[in-house]
Amino acid sequence: MTPRFDAGDRVLVLDLGKPGHIRTPFYIRGRAGVVLHRCGAFLNPEDLSIGNVGGPVVPLYRVGFPMVELWPDYRGSAADMLCIEIYDHWLAPAAPSAVAM
Amino acid sequence: MSAHDDHHLHDHDHHHDHEHDAHEPLVVEDEAGNIEGQILVDALQSLLVERGLIFPGEVRREIERIESPGVHLGAKLVARAWVDEAYRARLLADGKSAAAELGVGVGEAQLIVVANDAGTHNLVCCTLCSCYPRSILGQPPAWYISKAYRARAVREPRAVLAEFGLRVPDDVRLLVHDSNADMRYLVLPERPAGSEGMSEAELAELVTRDCMIGVAVAPAVA
Amino acid sequence: MTRGYHDIGGDPAGAVPIVELPWLHWEKQVEAIRNLLGDGTRRMMSLDELRRGFESFGEDKYKALSFYRRRLEAMIDILVEKEVFTREELEAAVAETRARWEPPAACPT
Repeated sequence: MTPRFDAGDRVLVLDLGKPGHIRTPFYIRGRAGVVLHRCGAFLNPEDLSIGNVGGPVVPLYRVGFPMVELWPDYRGSAADMLCIEIYDHWLAPAAPSAVAM
Repeated sequence: MSAHDDHHLHDHDHHHDHEHDAHEPLVVEDEAGNIEGQILVDALQSLLVERGLIFPGEVRREIERIESPGVHLGAKLVARAWVDEAYRARLLADGKSAAAELGVGVGEAQLIVVANDAGTHNLVCCTLCSCYPRSILGQPPAWYISKAYRARAVREPRAVLAEFGLRVPDDVRLLVHDSNADMRYLVLPERPAGSEGMSEAELAELVTRDCMIGVAVAPAVA
Repeated sequence: MTRGYHDIGGDPAGAVPIVELPWLHWEKQVEAIRNLLGDGTRRMMSLDELRRGFESFGEDKYKALSFYRRRLEAMIDILVEKEVFTREELEAAVAETRARWEPPAACPT
C-alpha cells in the first residue's frame, strides 16, 4: 500500500470502533493534526495481536497535534505539541481549516 | 538504588485489592508476590523446556543479553553528536543507522532521535504500555511505567516535569512523544555550558538516562 | 467508542512516583522467555499478542498486578490459547515448583 499522506498533510484520526488490540489511543481519536514524518510500512498490530503475521503492511506516520486543541484546559505554551504514530487506516484527509497550526 | 528501601518494595501490609487506586500509580509485588512470580515463571519455563520449545540455558543467555544494554549506549550516541556536527545530522536523520556506526545495535524498528535546543524541549512517554528504547537504554525506570506518568505526560507535561524538578520556560516549545507503535524515541539533550574543553568520553559521563527521556537536562559543568 | 482499560493517556492521576526499583530475577526471566518465544526461529508470540493478553484479561486483574506479573499472566493465557499446554498442566508444574520452593514439613522431634 502506497502511503496516502506526506509530511505537512492535514489529517483526521478516525474512530474505527474496533474491538481488540489497537494502538490508536482514545485521547487522539477524532482529532485533527499534521503529518510530521513517514515512518515506513509495518505489519498491522491488530493482525499481529491475533497471530496473523501474513500482512499486509500498513504505512505508519508520526502526526503532531497542538496540545491546546487536545486539552481545553491545557497549561503551557500554544506551541506545545503531542507527537504520536498513527497507522494509515486510522487516518482521513482533513480540510486545511480543520487544524490551526 | 536506595529510594525504594523504606517504602513500596517490602511493604508486608500491602494488599493488592485495596492499595492500588487510592494513591495509585506504582503497583509492585510484595515479598509474597515476588515469590509467587518466581514460582510461576519457573513453572512456565520448566513446561516450555519439557516441550522442547526452549532449551536449557537459553533463558540464562537471553537474560545476559537483555541485561547488557544500558544508559552508556545512549550516552555514547549523544556524546558523539555533541562533538561531531555531521554525525549529529545523521543521528537525527536515521537513528538506527547512526547508532550502528558506533557499534550500537538498535533492536527496535527505528530509533527517532529528537533534539533539544534553546527553543525546544522533548519528552518521551508511552500511554498504552511502556514502550521504551530498551536496546539502548535498558529497562525503563519504575516511574516510566507508572500509571501516573503514562496518564499525565500527554496532558500536563509541564506539571509532570516540575515534579522532576525541571521547569520548562513558557517560551520554550514542548514536544511530547507518545511511543505508541513501532518507533522508539531518544532525546538528544543540549550540550551543557562549561563542557567546551571536555573529551567525548568525559561528555558521555554527563549524559544521564533522565536526560535522554526528557525529564531532565544535562546540567551546566562547574 | 472502544476504549481499553489500559488506554489511560490523559486520565487524571496522582503524583508520579519517582522511585528507582531493582529489576528482579523473575522479572528478567519473564522478559527473556517472552523474547525467546517471539524470536525469529520460534515466532510463537508477538509483542502485540502479549499486549492483547493483558488488555483482555480483565480490568481488576490489570490494576492489581505489577507490570511484569501482568506480562507473565498474559503470556500464560496466550500459550494456553495456542494449546501449547493446558491450564491443568501449568497447575501441575506450579505445584511441583512450589514443592521445591517451600521448606519441607518440620520433622517430628
